[in-house]
Amino acid sequence: MSALELQSLLPLIILALGATGVLMLGAWYPSRNWILGGVLITLLAAFSAGLIDPAVPEVANLYSAGSYARFFVVLWSILGALTLLLSLRYTEIHDLPGSEYTALVLFAICGMGLLSSATSLVGLFLGLEAFTLVFYILIAFKRDDSYGAEAGLKYLVMGAVATGFLAFGISLIYAASGSFHLPEAFAGLQQAGGMRTLGLAGWAFMLVAIGFKVSLVPFHLWTPDVYQGAPAPVSGLLATGSKGAVFASLVPLFTALGPLKADLEVILWALAALSMLAGTFAALPQRNLKRMLAYSSVVHMGYLMIGLLVGGPEAHRALLFYVIAYVVATLGAFGVLTSFSRVDDEPQEYGDFRGLGYLHPRRSSVLSACLLSLAGIPPLVGFFAKFGIIAAALKGGYPGLAIIAILAALASLYYYLSPIVVLFMQQRDARELRRGGRYEFIVLALCFAAILLFGIYPSPLLEVLTGILP
Amino acid sequence: MNLSALTGFPLLSLVLWLPFLGTLLCLVFRHSALACRWLALLTTLTVLILVAWLFVGLPAESGWLLKEDYAWIPSFGIRYSLALDGISLLMVALTALLQVAAVLISWKQKQHPALFYALVLILETGIIGVFLATDLILFYLFWELMLIPMLFLIGVWGHGNRVYAALKFFFFTLAGSLCLLLSIISLYLIHGEQTGVYSFAFETLMQTQLSSGVEMLLYVGFLLAFVVKVPLFPFHTWLPDAHTEAPAAGSVDLAGLLLKTGIYGLIRFAFPLFPSAAQQSLPFLAVLALIGIFYAAWIAYAQTDIKRVVAYSSVAHMGFVILGLAAWNQLAWEGALLLMVNHGVTTGGLFILIAMLQDRTGSRDLRVLGGMWKTLPFFSAFFLLFCLASLGLPGLSNFAGEILVLLGAFSRWPLLAALAAAGVVFSAAYMLRVVQGVLWGPLGQMCKIGEDDCLHEDLDRREWLLLIPLAMLVIWLGIYPAPVLEPMSGPISLLLQSGGLP
Repeated sequence: MSALELQSLLPLIILALGATGVLMLGAWYPSRNWILGGVLITLLAAFSAGLIDPAVPEVANLYSAGSYARFFVVLWSILGALTLLLSLRYTEIHDLPGSEYTALVLFAICGMGLLSSATSLVGLFLGLEAFTLVFYILIAFKRDDSYGAEAGLKYLVMGAVATGFLAFGISLIYAASGSFHLPEAFAGLQQAGGMRTLGLAGWAFMLVAIGFKVSLVPFHLWTPDVYQGAPAPVSGLLATGSKGAVFASLVPLFTALGPLKADLEVILWALAALSMLAGTFAALPQRNLKRMLAYSSVVHMGYLMIGLLVGGPEAHRALLFYVIAYVVATLGAFGVLTSFSRVDDEPQEYGDFRGLGYLHPRRSSVLSACLLSLAGIPPLVGFFAKFGIIAAALKGGYPGLAIIAILAALASLYYYLSPIVVLFMQQRDARELRRGGRYEFIVLALCFAAILLFGIYPSPLLEVLTGILP
Repeated sequence: MNLSALTGFPLLSLVLWLPFLGTLLCLVFRHSALACRWLALLTTLTVLILVAWLFVGLPAESGWLLKEDYAWIPSFGIRYSLALDGISLLMVALTALLQVAAVLISWKQKQHPALFYALVLILETGIIGVFLATDLILFYLFWELMLIPMLFLIGVWGHGNRVYAALKFFFFTLAGSLCLLLSIISLYLIHGEQTGVYSFAFETLMQTQLSSGVEMLLYVGFLLAFVVKVPLFPFHTWLPDAHTEAPAAGSVDLAGLLLKTGIYGLIRFAFPLFPSAAQQSLPFLAVLALIGIFYAAWIAYAQTDIKRVVAYSSVAHMGFVILGLAAWNQLAWEGALLLMVNHGVTTGGLFILIAMLQDRTGSRDLRVLGGMWKTLPFFSAFFLLFCLASLGLPGLSNFAGEILVLLGAFSRWPLLAALAAAGVVFSAAYMLRVVQGVLWGPLGQMCKIGEDDCLHEDLDRREWLLLIPLAMLVIWLGIYPAPVLEPMSGPISLLLQSGGLP
């Protein structure tokens, strides 16, 4: 690997080395301030990704250093910084070790960055596994919490199976086409021939693995338990970054797929429709905010599948916009949950929030805004996200999916409004929850501002996305 | 000042965003109920003065009187474009007036006053936006913006079964809105494929060539959103719950303004965009309107809660408005729009009076109330006036609208118009029952439960201030509706002739 290639990979190297450094030094000097150090490292990575021009466009035929990859490295680095800021008080009251936590989050961010920049199937595998492994630990980070242990185990078993599928699928595709590198890996599969079937079988295996990772129906069953059991900031990172990064890597993958996509159309259609419908029905009766968000994320993944299915620059732009809208709002929701958490427990049942809107008006408003944005109510960012996806579906000739999407959006209002009703329209009998910390408020204010600003004036973001799309 | 000197000044944006500014200020000064109250009053009064100035200053022409147009989201072809013609001017004026009334009637709001006034003000922005927007997505945005404040107004400050009523209102409207969104996007894509120009501008989309099947399908999407809001029978079931459980200001806004946005959407967007589908749907609309008139009157007669009676009377009145629109001629449309304004004023006034009554006696139940004339004569006089106006007594406001609607409808559907005329008698029946139950008869419940000694004052200064202008308007609109008919007759004839733009 040449120096030029290393320079092009600099942001990810900063993250990886930073994580290692924090882990090592933390062993000698245990302190919770390492979390702030982690924030600095992520910001450094974000700046270096945004400001330093890469010397070569592609590193070792594995990872791209193009503007698309760089955009997501910046995005996930900022997400990492926000997650760490959120965790500052959380790790303190739950007495979690600061340096290990920081190092793991940094590794996860590095993995997401790698995944989003992958230009070969091996790069994709490495990136995906890099952060999945970290999440096994992070989810069960509260050692004496039985829910956490259950969640960690569940994620481990499901994740291991998915990894197996992914590796096997990639090897089949390699066997069929003779290349891991993205355009070439599919080029061999275009003509009908002996190896084409093998390649398609490989694709089926890969789709199963992807389905597990982003929790598409019918591979979603782990989601609610893991969200519920994991520490709130980790759930936030899991719900936003890990899913967003997978979709960010799928966009170039599906672009490279070319006409081969026609063979997958039925499967993708079914995955999208099933995720939207089953996710909606499962979310409706939930009375636990984390579980509700888990099922609602399944619905959102269904929306994103529409973007993949339709394909083309406009649909992909709509998809990426949706990813960002989803990430911002979901992070905000989990951020509020984090800031409410107390020493002994983490309020997540609706009953815990009764009448809280007048006791903690700012955080309750942010939570409501996040939920309404997820539901797609204008003028919040979720509206233009849904708008783009539905327009793409209609334009791409999938009116059935557009109608399912509209119906799911209507039904989603029920489960998104339930917490808001509990917060603002019920009599208060809830104890006062924890007063929020300064850093938590910064994160929540940023999320709120993003939800509102991108909702009212999405043009700059749309232009950036148009610019980075390959 | 001369209005023509101000062509470059974004007057429409000022009217639109002023209440929103009030919302922000209310949230800033949220710890002082007094400040919020005065802020809300000042904001709504400023808007009212601005709109009144526009009303007097603008000529009664048929085209757009004021326009604003800026690029907003170029990649989707969405523009920030507002425009005002005679019809929207009238609607904005009604909005500005009723919002002042809504603030005044909630003057003693004790529970979370800052949030309350903030929501009332942002609701005003949403409603005015609906009446001004000419870009379909901008319109949709404001259309949805009305929902959230109303949800909170009913859900937080409502009576009794308020959360149920709030959610029911929300879901009915949202279901319609999403049909509208689907239709809007489809229309946009069809137009884009035909011409290569992707735009949500209403005037551009008018040019779209549609096959009759597609046109009908898209029209139904628009129609569903608007008739749910109006509400036309059989989509009205959310209305009695929402009106009854809402706080006074919420009821005034719902009945006076939100219902009008549905009618406005029909005449501004649904009819002009899909003229031939609209023509085909007219008999159907007329029959539903007629059923609504009788059905609502029948149900209203059986109610014991005064607010429910007035709520159902709204359904009946909206039936008249739709009947007028379905007649599709100048006279009927003028009557329909006039009736919209009249209904806003009279029903708004009635809800205000009911709020005052409930404030004093703690009840809205016809079975326990009675004998108010003896104890609260001034209040009772106003109550009688508004009830008579609502039932369509000649010389008071509703009569003028109803008679025009009936005359216009008679020339097109003689039988339906004749039947509808009988509906007026029905409305007299249930309104007089309210008058009799509240004002006359033996003295009923006078005190809230738990209060023993309550010597009630008659109207106080704030209440006089609130009721006198509304009462004068009721009489004025009944005797001399020309100033209201004048600005809208030009736009109406344009809409009818071209099925299109002013």
